[in-house]
Amino acid sequence: MAKVAIDINGRLFQEEVPERMLLVDFIRERAHLTGTHIGCTYEGVCGACTVHLDGEAVKSCMLLAAQADEHKITTVEGLAPDGELTPLQEAFKSEHGLQCGFCTAGILMNMTDFLKRYPNPSEQEIRKGLIGNLCRCTGYVHIINAVRKVVQENQLRKT
Amino acid sequence: MQAVKSRMLRPAHIIDLQALSELKFVTSEKGLLTVGAMTRYVDIVSSDSIPLELIALKDAASRVGDRQVRNRGTIGGSLCWNYSAACTPVTVLALDGAMNLISPDGSTRQVAADDFFLGPLETARNEFEILLSVDFKLRGSKSGSAYKKWGLVTDALPVIGIAACLHFDNTDCCDYARITLTGLSGAQRCLEAEASLLSTTANTEEIAEAMMIVCSKIPTYTDSMATADYRYQLIKTIGLEVIEIAKKRAFGLG
Repeated sequence: MAKVAIDINGRLFQEEVPERMLLVDFIRERAHLTGTHIGCTYEGVCGACTVHLDGEAVKSCMLLAAQADEHKITTVEGLAPDGELTPLQEAFKSEHGLQCGFCTAGILMNMTDFLKRYPNPSEQEIRKGLIGNLCRCTGYVHIINAVRKVVQENQLRKT
Repeated sequence: MQAVKSRMLRPAHIIDLQALSELKFVTSEKGLLTVGAMTRYVDIVSSDSIPLELIALKDAASRVGDRQVRNRGTIGGSLCWNYSAACTPVTVLALDGAMNLISPDGSTRQVAADDFFLGPLETARNEFEILLSVDFKLRGSKSGSAYKKWGLVTDALPVIGIAACLHFDNTDCCDYARITLTGLSGAQRCLEAEASLLSTTANTEEIAEAMMIVCSKIPTYTDSMATADYRYQLIKTIGLEVIEIAKKRAFGLG
């Protein structure tokens, strides 16, 4: 067993966990934050379990919980802690960027980090940024439209 | 991590080196680029220290997996794992990287890429050695490099990946060429093709001829990802493209 202290969405979780426990299982089973999904049975290909590790998008099924010890994790629940949706979440709603919603949490986390790093991306760059996330409903077009909407709103705000 | 989860590896212990900030750096000085083993792909892609002639490193790092993977994956991890189809080993082999290794007793040694990659999943790293960094010698003006791959989906593991590093002399003839290939059985040099480009200007016909030589020397195979013939076609097409890009970059045109 390993002792870990992991900050998730500003709350510290101090737990004893099996060394083999994956971060995604820690988030879901110990912190009881089930917004982070498991899509591809832990193979690291679907991106549904994407969270922020110290502010950067990572796949939480590819990390051991022990590796997140003394690090800060943000999950989809941490995007709108007071219930006020972020512009990206609003855009997913207005642009129909989701259907079943299973992949959405991971995509929101990835694109939130992406837009922080690339505030004015081209459509091609958005598409490339989405490679690590699978969506089986939307065909991605509406997701890209939602991300573009946020970019356009940010640009408008600047001018 | 995938190898551990698939039981390909069954380690008794796992030691996370992420906290060793001493192993995360990219420095370029006195004709030498050094990349720390724990430098992540994302840091290589965004580094200002990588000189144009070694830009193949960025070609490779920017196309590994996806951005979540690039936020975690490191150059050292990829080199020591030496997967049969991976972007980093083939590129470091083309750029003639030299691995700096340290033993538990503190002694260090340097192993050239040619001697480091022994075959898929095999390297010259001893059991208790740690890779500290990789050195790349700069060859100065008229040097260029490039890497490109083809996989079943964008940025997937390469079915075929090719890297090239060229240098041209004062008369614009190629006097140094390294061409490397991955996807078949790990990173490998294409020695006869390299030799065929020496003392040429590496024009399109000469490059195409060099890639024909590669195809005549290296066996391919058919599986669910590609037929043997399609793999030969990929070698010819990607090889031509990569070497032409490397040449353009050597002359400051790419």
